[in-house]
This record gives sequence, structure tokens and C-alpha cells, in this order.
Amino acid sequence: MDTKKDEIRKFGKILLEIGSLLMSSGASTGRIRVTINRISEGMGYKTELLITQRALVLSITDEQENDYYSSIKRTLPHGVNFKLVSGISRMSWRIINEKWSVDQINTDLTRLKSLPHFPRLVILTFVAMAGASFCRLFGGGYLEMIVAFIATFFGLFVRQEAIKRNYNTYLCIVFASFAATLIAGASVYYGVGKSAEVAFATSVLFLIPGVPFINALSDMIDGNISAGVARVIHGLIISFAIALGMFLSMLIYNI
Amino acid sequence: MEWLFIFEKLIWFGIAAMGFAVLFNVPARAIPAVFIMGATGGILKVILMKFGVDIIFATLVGATIIGIISVYAAHLKHAPPLIFSIPSVIPMVPGVFAYRMMLGFIHLSGTPNKAYSQILESTINYGLKTFFILLCLAAGVSFPMLITRKESVKDFKIR
Repeated sequence: MDTKKDEIRKFGKILLEIGSLLMSSGASTGRIRVTINRISEGMGYKTELLITQRALVLSITDEQENDYYSSIKRTLPHGVNFKLVSGISRMSWRIINEKWSVDQINTDLTRLKSLPHFPRLVILTFVAMAGASFCRLFGGGYLEMIVAFIATFFGLFVRQEAIKRNYNTYLCIVFASFAATLIAGASVYYGVGKSAEVAFATSVLFLIPGVPFINALSDMIDGNISAGVARVIHGLIISFAIALGMFLSMLIYNI
Repeated sequence: MEWLFIFEKLIWFGIAAMGFAVLFNVPARAIPAVFIMGATGGILKVILMKFGVDIIFATLVGATIIGIISVYAAHLKHAPPLIFSIPSVIPMVPGVFAYRMMLGFIHLSGTPNKAYSQILESTINYGLKTFFILLCLAAGVSFPMLITRKESVKDFKIR
């Protein structure tokens, strides 16, 4: 009987870990609930969940409702990582189809967590290229594209450094937006190209809170209104942080 | 000339989508699909706008197409549809409108002058456009999941 209790506890802890990983890497509330329910049904348990932006509450019982386990876990604000979302989703299907044990889930979760990101230079280059493309799409010329490339590259670099030094999430975005517009603003100040303003506006687009806003809508449609509202507010604060950084450079260059 | 212009935009939409895929750490096997989807949705928007369709509705159509393709891509590459659709719709975000709205708000919070009502008009216009385009992006992406009332794309029968 005691081993049964231990097992349910171990399993509950893993489910909470999975839920908090999904939450911090950018999955919608509905997806977290579906994934956790799928895994626990596959293992023969019943699970009830309360999902909020910063904490998860989980209560798990076995089928006869003899043993139960309840716990809370805080979720960490990490940043979007779709490799983890996709990996956990694949794992959840394999758990059902291949009848995994709790230890097997544990080892696979450790593997998923240790999967590497893209190399830093690759991320910087690709995002800077995206910034240049944005500039082109909004009607910039080649000179402005180069400005947007450099500004985005530098802005993202500043953001990564700020995140590494554990600054507040929103403050990191203010720094990044300020750094990017400081470069793009110089091009407006010295009149580089015909539509330098486009480069200025598009150099901060790598910071836009696309994931919070899209997840917010899908949460609210699902009926998770409070989770959705929390995400909207999170996205709005990010937008204000971007605007603040831009405003500071605009004051400096008097645009 | 016209087609060359459209083809060029296709490339830029694709590269922008790919950049965000890298930023969001999408698995490498899914990145080509993101490039194609971003380019398809974006170019559809541009073509519709060339035919005189309003930018908001054009964006909704583009995002919906991305949402529908993301279901097929999810089956093909065995990954959740959102990891394809979110990076793909981001190139359609109205960055310049949002920037002009912000500029407008900064002006509006200063002391009122002669141009005040004119700035108010343009700020409201840009602000509403930004808001509705963002709403359409999010709605278009979640459209296929809503219309089929399924909890997972694995439940779809695709032949």
C-alpha cells in the first residue's frame, strides 16, 4: 500500500513539472490541461488542475479514489521555447502508446529539458534578418534594411545579456528596445536613406509579444477568462516597455 | 514587374517568419514549413490588398490560411500546430501602425495645439487598425481548432 502512495506522489510531481514547463515555454492553458489529462489517463489516474499564470495546483487520485496527492508548483518566467512544447506533446502520445513507467517519463523529461537552443550567433543573425525583412515589407530601402539589421542584432544582444544578469523581464525589454532604437534613431538623426523612420519603427519588432496575445485569445475562447486576461495584461506591459525604450531614444535624438 | 514585386515580398515574409521561428526555438525540422507558411499567408494578404480588399479582412484571410495549413503541417512533422502558426503570422503584425499610434499618443498627452483634433483622428484610426489586425491574427490561427471542436489535431482524419 505504501509503495502505491509513493508512486502516486512521484507521478503527481512529474505532472506538475510538465505543466510548469509548458506554461513557461509558451503553451496555451487549454493545451496544458489536455496534455496533463492525456498523460494521467494513460497511466490510469484522475487529475484535476487549476492553472494560473504563475502557479499550478494539481490534485491526483487513482481510479478507486483510495489514494490522493495534491500540490502546488510555481511556474518560472523563462521565455518561449517551442522545442520543449513539441517534445512534451510527442512524449505524451508515446506514454499512452508504449505504456511507459514513471521513471521512463522522468528520464525523457530530463532529456527534453537539456535539449540545446540554437547557437547564439545563429539566433542573432536570423532575428536580425527578420528585422531587415520587416523593414522591407513596410517599404524601407536597402540602406534602411541594413540599419534595421544592425539595430535588431544589437538590441537582441542587449536583451540576452540583460536576461543573463537576471533583470526584471520587462526591464530587459526596455533595455533592448532602447538599445535598438538608439542605433536606428541615429540613422533618422543623420538622415540615412529616404524613409529612415521605417527602420526606426521596425527595429523593435523582434520584441513584440506575439505569443502572449495569441495564447490570450485562444485561452479566452476556451473559457479560461482569467488566464487570458492575465496574458493580455502581460502583453500590454511588454508593449509599454517597448514604447518606453523608444520614447527614451526619441527624447535623446529629438525626433 | 508586378509579379517580381510579389515574389520579392514572398521571400521577405518567409525570412521574417523564419527569424521568429529561430527566436522561439522551433525544432529545426519544422523551420522549412514555417518559411513556406509565413510566405503563403503574407503573400495572400498582399494579393488581396492589391485587389482592393481592406487590410483587416485581408489579414484575417491570410492568418486563417496559415491556421489551416498548420493542421496539415502538424500531422506531417508530428508537432503541435501552434509552433508552426505563431511564428508564421508574426510578419503580418502591423508594426508601423502601432508605432504611429504610439507617436500619436505622445503628441496627444502634450499641450493641445491647432493640430490636436487631426492627430486625434489619425491616432484613433491607427490604434483601431492595430487592434483589429492583432485580433484577426489570433482569431485566424485558432480558427481550425474552433470550427472542428477537437481537442487535439490527432483526432483529425486527414486522407
